[in-house]
Amino acid sequence: MKTFFKVLGNLFKRPITTKYPFEKTFIPDDYRGLIGFDENLCIWCRRCEMACPPQAIVFSQDADGKQTYHYNRAVCIFCSECVRSCPKEGAIYQTPEPAKCALKEENINNGWNVLYEEALKSRAVYAAEKKRLAAEKAASLKTGDKKN
Amino acid sequence: MGKRYEIPLGAQHISLLEPLHFKFTTENEKIIDTVANVYYVHRGIEQACCSKFKFRQVSFVVGRVCGLCSISHTTAYSQVAEKLVKIEIPRRAKYLRMLVIELDRIHSHLLCLSHVAENSGFEALFMKTMQYREFSMELLEAICGNRIQYDFSIVGGVARDLKPQVGMQILERLKIFKLQLDELVDIYQNNWTLSLKNKGAGAITKEDAMRLNVVGPFARAAGLAMDVRNETEDLLPWKEVGFEMITDTAGDVHARNMVRLRELYVSMRMIENIINGLPESAIITETKAFPDGEAVIRLEAPRGELFYYAKGNKTQILERLKIKAPTFSNVSAMVEAFKGNEYGSVPAIIASYDPCLSCTSR
Repeated sequence: MKTFFKVLGNLFKRPITTKYPFEKTFIPDDYRGLIGFDENLCIWCRRCEMACPPQAIVFSQDADGKQTYHYNRAVCIFCSECVRSCPKEGAIYQTPEPAKCALKEENINNGWNVLYEEALKSRAVYAAEKKRLAAEKAASLKTGDKKN
Repeated sequence: MGKRYEIPLGAQHISLLEPLHFKFTTENEKIIDTVANVYYVHRGIEQACCSKFKFRQVSFVVGRVCGLCSISHTTAYSQVAEKLVKIEIPRRAKYLRMLVIELDRIHSHLLCLSHVAENSGFEALFMKTMQYREFSMELLEAICGNRIQYDFSIVGGVARDLKPQVGMQILERLKIFKLQLDELVDIYQNNWTLSLKNKGAGAITKEDAMRLNVVGPFARAAGLAMDVRNETEDLLPWKEVGFEMITDTAGDVHARNMVRLRELYVSMRMIENIINGLPESAIITETKAFPDGEAVIRLEAPRGELFYYAKGNKTQILERLKIKAPTFSNVSAMVEAFKGNEYGSVPAIIASYDPCLSCTSR
Protein backbone atom coordinates (compact mmCIF):
# COMPACT_ATOMS: atom_id res chain seq x y z
CA MET A 1 0.00 0.00 0.00
CA LYS A 2 2.89 2.35 0.88
CA THR A 3 4.44 1.66 -2.52
CA PHE A 4 1.15 2.39 -4.23
CA PHE A 5 0.89 5.88 -2.68
CA LYS A 6 4.56 6.53 -3.47
CA VAL A 7 3.92 5.71 -7.12
CA LEU A 8 0.88 8.01 -7.16
CA GLY A 9 2.93 10.78 -5.56
CA ASN A 10 5.73 10.34 -8.11
CA LEU A 11 3.23 10.90 -10.91
CA PHE A 12 2.81 14.51 -9.80
CA LYS A 13 6.48 15.22 -9.09
CA ARG A 14 8.67 17.29 -11.39
CA PRO A 15 11.31 15.28 -13.23
CA ILE A 16 14.85 15.30 -11.82
CA THR A 17 16.46 15.71 -15.24
CA THR A 18 16.81 19.03 -17.06
CA LYS A 19 15.71 19.61 -20.64
CA TYR A 20 19.22 20.45 -21.67
CA PRO A 21 19.19 22.48 -24.90
CA PHE A 22 16.20 24.51 -23.68
CA GLU A 23 17.26 24.88 -20.06
CA LYS A 24 20.68 25.90 -18.81
CA THR A 25 22.73 23.30 -16.95
CA PHE A 26 24.84 23.92 -13.87
CA ILE A 27 28.05 25.74 -14.77
CA PRO A 28 30.19 27.05 -11.88
CA ASP A 29 31.64 30.59 -11.91
CA ASP A 30 35.22 29.48 -12.48
CA TYR A 31 34.52 26.80 -15.06
CA ARG A 32 37.56 25.84 -17.11
CA GLY A 33 36.59 27.17 -20.52
CA LEU A 34 38.17 28.71 -23.60
CA ILE A 35 41.60 30.35 -23.39
CA GLY A 36 41.63 34.08 -24.09
CA PHE A 37 44.59 36.09 -25.39
CA ASP A 38 45.45 39.79 -25.16
CA GLU A 39 47.83 40.83 -27.92
CA ASN A 40 48.60 44.21 -26.34
CA LEU A 41 49.91 42.70 -23.12
CA CYS A 42 51.84 39.77 -24.60
CA ILE A 43 55.63 39.95 -24.45
CA TRP A 44 56.00 37.15 -27.05
CA CYS A 45 58.13 34.84 -24.92
CA ARG A 46 56.30 31.69 -26.19
CA ARG A 47 56.27 30.09 -22.74
CA CYS A 48 52.60 29.14 -23.10
CA GLU A 49 53.45 27.27 -26.27
CA MET A 50 56.24 25.38 -24.51
CA ALA A 51 54.05 24.52 -21.51
CA CYS A 52 50.94 23.41 -23.41
CA PRO A 53 50.61 19.58 -23.08
CA PRO A 54 48.53 18.92 -26.25
CA GLN A 55 50.23 21.70 -28.30
CA ALA A 56 47.09 23.72 -28.84
CA ILE A 57 48.98 27.04 -28.99
CA VAL A 58 51.49 28.02 -31.65
CA PHE A 59 53.04 31.31 -32.72
CA SER A 60 53.85 32.05 -36.35
CA GLN A 61 56.24 34.78 -37.43
CA ASP A 62 56.30 36.80 -40.63
CA ALA A 63 59.30 38.27 -42.42
CA ASP A 64 59.56 41.47 -40.35
CA GLY A 65 59.46 39.55 -37.04
CA LYS A 66 55.83 40.14 -36.04
CA GLN A 67 54.39 37.11 -34.24
CA THR A 68 50.79 35.90 -34.48
CA TYR A 69 49.02 33.74 -31.87
CA HIS A 70 47.10 30.65 -33.01
CA TYR A 71 44.88 28.61 -30.72
CA ASN A 72 42.84 25.46 -31.40
CA ARG A 73 39.90 24.86 -29.09
CA ALA A 74 39.46 21.28 -30.28
CA VAL A 75 42.99 20.30 -29.26
CA CYS A 76 42.98 22.29 -26.00
CA ILE A 77 42.37 20.28 -22.80
CA PHE A 78 41.61 23.44 -20.73
CA CYS A 79 44.21 22.62 -18.09
CA SER A 80 45.28 26.30 -17.78
CA GLU A 81 48.94 25.33 -17.74
CA CYS A 82 49.56 28.19 -20.23
CA VAL A 83 48.02 30.69 -17.78
CA ARG A 84 50.26 29.44 -14.97
CA SER A 85 53.38 29.60 -17.15
CA CYS A 86 52.70 33.16 -18.40
CA PRO A 87 55.15 35.70 -16.90
CA LYS A 88 52.92 38.69 -17.79
CA GLU A 89 49.63 38.55 -15.93
CA GLY A 90 46.54 39.00 -18.11
CA ALA A 91 48.21 38.30 -21.44
CA ILE A 92 46.68 34.82 -21.56
CA TYR A 93 43.69 33.95 -19.41
CA GLN A 94 40.94 31.38 -18.98
CA THR A 95 37.32 32.34 -19.63
CA PRO A 96 34.33 30.46 -18.16
CA GLU A 97 32.89 30.07 -21.65
CA PRO A 98 32.50 26.47 -22.91
CA ALA A 99 33.97 25.64 -26.32
CA LYS A 100 31.59 25.38 -29.27
CA CYS A 101 31.41 22.31 -31.48
CA ALA A 102 33.61 22.37 -34.55
CA LEU A 103 32.02 22.42 -38.00
CA LYS A 104 33.17 20.51 -41.03
CA GLU A 105 34.02 23.75 -42.86
CA GLU A 106 36.53 24.69 -40.18
CA ASN A 107 38.62 21.57 -40.92
CA ILE A 108 39.80 21.87 -37.35
CA ASN A 109 42.11 18.83 -37.15
CA ASN A 110 43.82 18.62 -40.52
CA GLY A 111 43.78 22.37 -40.98
CA TRP A 112 45.44 22.76 -37.61
CA ASN A 113 48.18 20.25 -38.47
CA VAL A 114 48.98 22.21 -41.63
CA LEU A 115 48.88 25.51 -39.75
CA TYR A 116 51.14 24.16 -37.02
CA GLU A 117 53.76 22.97 -39.52
CA GLU A 118 53.63 26.27 -41.40
CA ALA A 119 53.98 28.27 -38.20
CA LEU A 120 57.09 26.35 -37.19
CA LYS A 121 58.48 26.74 -40.71
CA SER A 122 57.80 30.49 -40.75
CA ARG A 123 59.71 30.84 -37.50
CA ALA A 124 62.62 28.80 -38.86
CA VAL A 125 62.71 30.99 -41.98
CA TYR A 126 62.74 34.15 -39.87
CA ALA A 127 65.50 32.76 -37.63
CA ALA A 128 67.61 31.77 -40.64
CA GLU A 129 67.13 35.19 -42.21
CA LYS A 130 68.12 36.89 -38.95
CA LYS A 131 71.22 34.73 -38.69
CA ARG A 132 72.19 35.54 -42.26
CA LEU A 133 71.74 39.29 -41.68
CA ALA A 134 73.77 39.11 -38.46
CA ALA A 135 76.55 37.22 -40.25
CA GLU A 136 76.53 39.81 -43.05
CA LYS A 137 76.71 42.63 -40.54
CA ALA A 138 79.57 40.96 -38.73
CA ALA A 139 81.38 40.38 -42.01
CA SER A 140 80.91 44.01 -43.05
CA LEU A 141 82.13 45.16 -39.63
CA LYS A 142 85.20 42.96 -39.98
CA THR A 143 86.03 44.33 -43.44
CA GLY A 144 85.41 47.83 -42.09
CA ASP A 145 87.86 47.12 -39.27
CA LYS A 146 90.47 45.96 -41.76
CA LYS A 147 90.07 49.10 -43.86
CA ASN A 148 90.58 51.25 -40.82
CA MET B 1 28.20 -35.01 -14.36
CA GLY B 2 26.36 -32.76 -16.77
CA LYS B 3 27.36 -31.60 -20.20
CA ARG B 4 30.07 -28.93 -20.42
CA TYR B 5 29.54 -25.71 -22.30
CA GLU B 6 31.92 -22.89 -23.17
CA ILE B 7 30.28 -19.47 -23.01
CA PRO B 8 32.15 -16.35 -24.10
CA LEU B 9 31.18 -13.00 -22.54
CA GLY B 10 32.55 -9.74 -23.93
CA ALA B 11 34.51 -7.87 -25.17
CA GLN B 12 31.27 -6.13 -26.17
CA HIS B 13 28.42 -7.00 -23.87
CA ILE B 14 25.40 -5.19 -22.57
CA SER B 15 26.35 -5.70 -18.91
CA LEU B 16 29.93 -4.51 -19.34
CA LEU B 17 31.07 -0.93 -19.06
CA GLU B 18 34.41 -1.56 -20.62
CA PRO B 19 35.91 -4.11 -23.01
CA LEU B 20 36.61 -7.16 -20.89
CA HIS B 21 36.48 -10.69 -22.18
CA PHE B 22 35.65 -13.79 -20.12
CA LYS B 23 35.40 -17.34 -21.35
CA PHE B 24 33.38 -19.48 -18.97
CA THR B 25 33.37 -23.27 -18.92
CA THR B 26 30.09 -24.29 -17.37
CA GLU B 27 28.59 -27.55 -16.26
CA ASN B 28 24.90 -27.02 -16.92
CA GLU B 29 24.48 -23.63 -15.22
CA LYS B 30 27.42 -23.86 -12.83
CA ILE B 31 30.72 -22.20 -13.69
CA ILE B 32 33.71 -24.46 -13.22
CA ASP B 33 36.44 -22.56 -15.05
CA THR B 34 37.10 -19.03 -16.34
CA VAL B 35 39.67 -17.41 -18.59
CA ALA B 36 39.99 -13.62 -18.66
CA ASN B 37 41.44 -11.31 -21.29
CA VAL B 38 41.81 -7.70 -20.25
CA TYR B 39 44.05 -6.00 -22.81
CA TYR B 40 41.57 -4.55 -25.27
CA VAL B 41 42.16 -0.84 -24.72
CA HIS B 42 45.91 -0.57 -24.82
CA ARG B 43 46.82 2.97 -25.86
CA GLY B 44 50.57 3.15 -25.22
CA ILE B 45 50.33 5.89 -22.62
CA GLU B 46 53.49 4.84 -20.77
CA GLN B 47 55.52 5.10 -23.97
CA ALA B 48 54.01 8.50 -24.78
CA CYS B 49 54.86 9.75 -21.28
CA CYS B 50 58.50 8.73 -21.76
CA SER B 51 58.96 10.08 -25.27
CA LYS B 52 56.61 12.87 -26.27
CA PHE B 53 55.75 14.85 -23.15
CA LYS B 54 57.87 16.84 -20.70
CA PHE B 55 57.68 15.66 -17.10
CA ARG B 56 55.45 18.57 -16.05
CA GLN B 57 52.97 17.77 -18.82
CA VAL B 58 52.80 14.06 -17.95
CA SER B 59 50.46 14.70 -15.01
CA PHE B 60 47.83 15.80 -17.55
CA VAL B 61 48.47 12.77 -19.75
CA VAL B 62 48.10 10.22 -16.95
CA GLY B 63 44.90 11.98 -15.89
CA ARG B 64 43.47 10.67 -19.16
CA VAL B 65 44.33 7.06 -18.31
CA CYS B 66 40.97 6.65 -16.60
CA GLY B 67 37.94 8.87 -16.27
CA LEU B 68 36.78 7.75 -12.85
CA CYS B 69 40.05 7.73 -10.95
CA SER B 70 41.61 10.62 -12.86
CA ILE B 71 42.62 12.44 -9.68
CA SER B 72 44.27 9.34 -8.20
CA HIS B 73 46.47 8.99 -11.29
CA THR B 74 47.44 12.67 -11.42
CA THR B 75 48.15 12.74 -7.68
CA ALA B 76 50.21 9.56 -7.79
CA TYR B 77 52.23 10.89 -10.71
CA SER B 78 52.68 14.30 -9.08
CA GLN B 79 53.96 12.62 -5.92
CA VAL B 80 56.41 10.43 -7.79
CA ALA B 81 57.68 13.43 -9.78
CA GLU B 82 58.02 15.45 -6.58
CA LYS B 83 60.16 12.65 -5.17
CA LEU B 84 62.34 12.78 -8.30
CA VAL B 85 62.85 16.56 -8.16
CA LYS B 86 63.13 16.37 -4.34
CA ILE B 87 60.60 18.95 -3.18
CA GLU B 88 58.10 19.02 -0.34
CA ILE B 89 54.65 20.34 -1.18
CA PRO B 90 52.75 22.81 1.06
CA ARG B 91 50.38 21.45 3.68
CA ARG B 92 47.32 23.09 2.12
CA ALA B 93 48.04 21.35 -1.19
CA LYS B 94 48.11 17.99 0.59
CA TYR B 95 44.74 18.67 2.19
CA LEU B 96 43.20 19.81 -1.11
CA ARG B 97 44.48 16.67 -2.82
CA MET B 98 42.89 14.53 -0.15
CA LEU B 99 39.62 16.46 -0.48
CA VAL B 100 39.36 15.82 -4.22
CA ILE B 101 40.44 12.17 -3.87
CA GLU B 102 37.70 11.54 -1.30
CA LEU B 103 35.01 13.30 -3.38
CA ASP B 104 36.17 11.22 -6.32
CA ARG B 105 35.88 8.09 -4.18
CA ILE B 106 32.25 8.99 -3.41
CA HIS B 107 31.29 9.27 -7.06
CA SER B 108 33.27 6.21 -8.12
CA HIS B 109 31.76 4.00 -5.40
CA LEU B 110 28.24 5.21 -6.19
CA LEU B 111 28.78 4.43 -9.87
CA CYS B 112 29.89 0.90 -9.00
CA LEU B 113 26.94 0.38 -6.65
CA SER B 114 24.48 1.61 -9.26
CA HIS B 115 25.87 -0.83 -11.81
CA VAL B 116 25.64 -3.72 -9.38
CA ALA B 117 21.97 -2.81 -8.93
CA GLU B 118 21.43 -2.56 -12.68
CA ASN B 119 23.18 -5.83 -13.45
CA SER B 120 21.19 -7.57 -10.72
CA GLY B 121 18.06 -6.44 -12.54
CA PHE B 122 17.10 -3.52 -10.28
CA GLU B 123 16.82 -0.67 -12.77
CA ALA B 124 15.01 1.73 -10.43
CA LEU B 125 17.79 1.57 -7.84
CA PHE B 126 20.32 2.22 -10.60
CA MET B 127 18.48 5.44 -11.47
CA LYS B 128 18.20 6.46 -7.84
CA THR B 129 21.89 5.90 -7.12
CA MET B 130 22.91 7.82 -10.22
CA GLN B 131 20.60 10.66 -9.25
CA TYR B 132 22.20 10.89 -5.80
CA ARG B 133 25.64 10.68 -7.34
CA GLU B 134 25.11 13.88 -9.30
CA PHE B 135 25.92 16.12 -6.31
CA SER B 136 29.52 14.86 -6.17
CA MET B 137 30.03 15.56 -9.86
CA GLU B 138 28.75 19.11 -9.44
CA LEU B 139 30.95 19.70 -6.41
CA LEU B 140 33.99 18.40 -8.27
CA GLU B 141 33.10 20.74 -11.13
CA ALA B 142 32.88 23.64 -8.68
CA ILE B 143 36.28 22.79 -7.16
CA CYS B 144 38.27 21.78 -10.25
CA GLY B 145 36.35 23.47 -13.06
CA ASN B 146 35.54 20.27 -14.93
CA ARG B 147 33.26 17.31 -14.39
CA ILE B 148 35.56 14.51 -15.47
CA GLN B 149 39.19 15.39 -16.13
CA TYR B 150 40.09 17.32 -13.01
CA ASP B 151 43.76 18.21 -13.79
CA PHE B 152 43.91 19.27 -10.16
CA SER B 153 47.27 17.92 -8.99
CA ILE B 154 50.31 19.29 -10.74
CA VAL B 155 53.98 18.74 -10.01
CA GLY B 156 54.64 20.84 -6.90
CA GLY B 157 51.13 21.23 -5.54
CA VAL B 158 47.60 21.79 -6.79
CA ALA B 159 46.34 23.85 -9.70
CA ARG B 160 43.71 25.98 -7.98
CA ASP B 161 42.69 26.99 -4.50
CA LEU B 162 39.44 26.14 -2.73
CA LYS B 163 37.15 29.15 -2.44
CA PRO B 164 35.44 29.60 0.96
CA GLN B 165 31.96 29.65 -0.59
CA VAL B 166 32.67 26.37 -2.41
CA GLY B 167 33.75 24.87 0.91
CA MET B 168 30.46 25.97 2.48
CA GLN B 169 28.57 24.56 -0.50
CA ILE B 170 30.31 21.18 -0.05
CA LEU B 171 29.32 21.01 3.63
CA GLU B 172 25.70 21.88 2.82
CA ARG B 173 25.43 19.32 0.03
CA LEU B 174 27.02 16.64 2.22
CA LYS B 175 24.32 17.22 4.85
CA ILE B 176 21.64 16.53 2.22
CA PHE B 177 23.56 13.56 0.87
CA LYS B 178 23.86 11.95 4.29
CA LEU B 179 20.08 11.42 4.43
CA GLN B 180 20.04 10.10 0.87
CA LEU B 181 22.88 7.71 1.71
CA ASP B 182 20.94 6.37 4.71
CA GLU B 183 18.08 5.64 2.31
CA LEU B 184 20.45 3.87 -0.11
CA VAL B 185 22.04 1.79 2.66
CA ASP B 186 18.58 0.70 3.75
CA ILE B 187 17.70 -0.47 0.23
CA TYR B 188 21.03 -2.19 -0.48
CA GLN B 189 21.02 -3.93 2.89
CA ASN B 190 17.41 -4.94 3.32
CA ASN B 191 15.84 -5.22 -0.12
CA TRP B 192 14.69 -8.78 -0.50
CA THR B 193 15.17 -9.23 -4.28
CA LEU B 194 18.59 -7.59 -4.29
CA SER B 195 19.76 -9.74 -1.38
CA LEU B 196 18.51 -12.82 -3.17
CA LYS B 197 20.73 -11.95 -6.12
CA ASN B 198 23.74 -10.68 -4.20
CA LYS B 199 24.13 -12.70 -1.02
CA GLY B 200 26.55 -15.57 -1.49
CA ALA B 201 27.32 -14.68 -5.11
CA GLY B 202 30.94 -14.32 -6.17
CA ALA B 203 32.28 -15.12 -2.72
CA ILE B 204 36.00 -15.32 -2.04
CA THR B 205 37.58 -16.49 1.22
CA LYS B 206 40.10 -14.49 3.21
CA GLU B 207 42.83 -17.07 2.57
CA ASP B 208 42.25 -16.95 -1.19
CA ALA B 209 42.20 -13.16 -1.14
CA MET B 210 45.51 -13.16 0.72
CA ARG B 211 47.04 -15.72 -1.63
CA LEU B 212 45.90 -13.94 -4.81
CA ASN B 213 46.99 -10.50 -3.59
CA VAL B 214 43.63 -8.76 -3.81
CA VAL B 215 43.41 -5.00 -3.18
CA GLY B 216 40.75 -2.40 -2.56
CA PRO B 217 37.12 -2.92 -1.50
CA PHE B 218 37.32 -6.43 -2.98
CA ALA B 219 39.92 -7.38 -0.34
CA ARG B 220 38.24 -5.46 2.47
CA ALA B 221 34.96 -7.26 1.84
CA ALA B 222 36.76 -10.58 2.27
CA GLY B 223 38.15 -9.51 5.64
CA LEU B 224 41.62 -8.38 4.61
CA ALA B 225 42.46 -5.04 6.24
CA MET B 226 44.31 -3.74 3.20
CA ASP B 227 44.36 -0.01 2.59
CA VAL B 228 47.28 2.20 1.60
CA ARG B 229 45.73 5.05 3.56
CA ASN B 230 46.32 2.99 6.67
CA GLU B 231 49.96 2.31 5.88
CA THR B 232 51.59 5.45 4.51
CA GLU B 233 51.51 8.72 6.35
CA ASP B 234 54.44 10.66 4.90
CA LEU B 235 52.86 12.05 1.71
CA LEU B 236 49.20 12.53 2.56
CA PRO B 237 48.16 12.67 6.24
CA TRP B 238 45.16 10.35 6.06
CA LYS B 239 44.88 9.47 9.74
CA GLU B 240 45.01 13.13 10.70
CA VAL B 241 41.70 13.72 8.91
CA GLY B 242 40.01 10.71 10.46
CA PHE B 243 40.61 7.65 8.30
CA GLU B 244 38.97 4.45 9.48
CA MET B 245 39.38 0.95 8.11
CA ILE B 246 36.16 -0.71 6.92
CA THR B 247 36.10 -4.48 6.57
CA ASP B 248 33.48 -7.18 6.15
CA THR B 249 33.74 -10.94 6.45
CA ALA B 250 31.48 -12.56 3.86
CA GLY B 251 33.46 -11.64 0.73
CA ASP B 252 30.43 -11.84 -1.57
CA VAL B 253 28.72 -9.19 -3.73
CA HIS B 254 26.55 -8.05 -0.82
CA ALA B 255 29.60 -7.59 1.42
CA ARG B 256 31.32 -5.53 -1.28
CA ASN B 257 28.25 -3.32 -1.58
CA MET B 258 28.18 -2.79 2.16
CA VAL B 259 31.93 -2.04 2.35
CA ARG B 260 31.54 0.59 -0.37
CA LEU B 261 28.53 2.16 1.29
CA ARG B 262 30.20 2.30 4.69
CA GLU B 263 33.34 3.76 3.14
CA LEU B 264 31.19 6.61 1.85
CA TYR B 265 30.39 7.59 5.45
CA VAL B 266 34.13 7.62 6.23
CA SER B 267 34.83 9.69 3.11
CA MET B 268 32.14 12.19 4.05
CA ARG B 269 33.55 12.54 7.55
CA MET B 270 37.03 13.04 6.14
CA ILE B 271 35.81 15.73 3.74
CA GLU B 272 34.12 17.59 6.59
CA ASN B 273 37.31 17.40 8.67
CA ILE B 274 39.43 18.59 5.75
CA ILE B 275 37.24 21.63 5.06
CA ASN B 276 36.93 22.56 8.73
CA GLY B 277 40.65 22.20 9.36
CA LEU B 278 42.10 23.46 6.09
CA PRO B 279 45.56 24.90 6.89
CA GLU B 280 46.56 28.31 5.52
CA SER B 281 49.61 28.19 3.28
CA ALA B 282 50.68 28.46 -0.33
CA ILE B 283 49.30 25.84 -2.71
CA ILE B 284 52.34 25.26 -4.87
CA THR B 285 56.11 24.87 -4.47
CA GLU B 286 58.01 26.21 -7.43
CA THR B 287 61.14 24.44 -8.59
CA LYS B 288 63.38 24.44 -11.62
CA ALA B 289 65.04 21.09 -10.90
CA PHE B 290 64.95 18.21 -13.37
CA PRO B 291 63.91 14.68 -12.33
CA ASP B 292 66.77 12.45 -11.34
CA GLY B 293 66.95 8.94 -9.92
CA GLU B 294 64.17 6.45 -9.26
CA ALA B 295 61.05 6.61 -7.10
CA VAL B 296 58.02 4.53 -6.22
CA ILE B 297 54.59 5.63 -4.97
CA ARG B 298 51.55 3.81 -3.63
CA LEU B 299 48.19 5.52 -3.38
CA GLU B 300 44.70 4.27 -2.54
CA ALA B 301 42.52 4.82 -5.61
CA PRO B 302 38.76 4.06 -5.28
CA ARG B 303 39.43 0.55 -6.60
CA GLY B 304 42.51 -0.23 -4.56
CA GLU B 305 46.22 0.28 -4.50
CA LEU B 306 47.68 2.31 -7.35
CA PHE B 307 51.40 1.94 -7.95
CA TYR B 308 53.67 4.33 -9.85
CA TYR B 309 57.33 3.92 -10.68
CA ALA B 310 59.35 6.61 -12.44
CA LYS B 311 62.95 7.03 -13.46
CA GLY B 312 64.53 10.31 -14.50
CA ASN B 313 67.81 11.14 -16.19
CA LYS B 314 68.24 14.89 -15.50
CA THR B 315 66.38 15.87 -18.69
CA GLN B 316 62.88 17.21 -19.27
CA ILE B 317 61.66 13.81 -20.46
CA LEU B 318 61.38 10.82 -18.13
CA GLU B 319 63.30 7.66 -18.88
CA ARG B 320 60.62 5.25 -17.64
CA LEU B 321 57.15 5.45 -16.15
CA LYS B 322 55.33 2.36 -14.95
CA ILE B 323 51.69 2.31 -13.87
CA LYS B 324 50.19 -0.66 -12.04
CA ALA B 325 46.45 -0.24 -11.66
CA PRO B 326 44.34 -1.90 -8.92
CA THR B 327 42.27 -3.95 -11.39
CA PHE B 328 45.45 -5.59 -12.67
CA SER B 329 46.14 -6.95 -9.17
CA ASN B 330 42.57 -8.22 -8.93
CA VAL B 331 42.30 -10.11 -12.24
CA SER B 332 43.48 -13.46 -10.84
CA ALA B 333 41.03 -13.24 -7.93
CA MET B 334 38.24 -12.17 -10.28
CA VAL B 335 38.69 -15.40 -12.21
CA GLU B 336 38.80 -17.40 -8.97
CA ALA B 337 35.66 -15.90 -7.44
CA PHE B 338 33.44 -17.01 -10.36
CA LYS B 339 33.90 -20.70 -9.59
CA GLY B 340 30.84 -22.44 -8.26
CA ASN B 341 28.41 -19.65 -9.16
CA GLU B 342 25.42 -19.78 -11.47
CA TYR B 343 25.99 -18.28 -14.90
CA GLY B 344 23.01 -15.97 -14.35
CA SER B 345 24.70 -14.08 -11.54
CA VAL B 346 27.80 -13.29 -13.60
CA PRO B 347 26.84 -9.69 -14.62
CA ALA B 348 26.26 -8.63 -11.02
CA ILE B 349 29.55 -10.23 -9.94
CA ILE B 350 31.50 -8.47 -12.70
CA ALA B 351 29.98 -5.11 -11.73
CA SER B 352 30.81 -5.72 -8.08
CA TYR B 353 34.52 -6.18 -8.94
CA ASP B 354 34.38 -2.61 -10.28
CA PRO B 355 36.84 -3.41 -13.07
CA CYS B 356 38.61 -0.52 -14.77
CA LEU B 357 40.15 -1.80 -17.97
CA SER B 358 41.40 1.56 -19.17
CA CYS B 359 43.62 1.71 -16.09
CA THR B 360 44.70 -1.91 -16.44
CA SER B 361 45.83 -1.85 -20.04
CA ARG B 362 46.68 1.88 -20.20
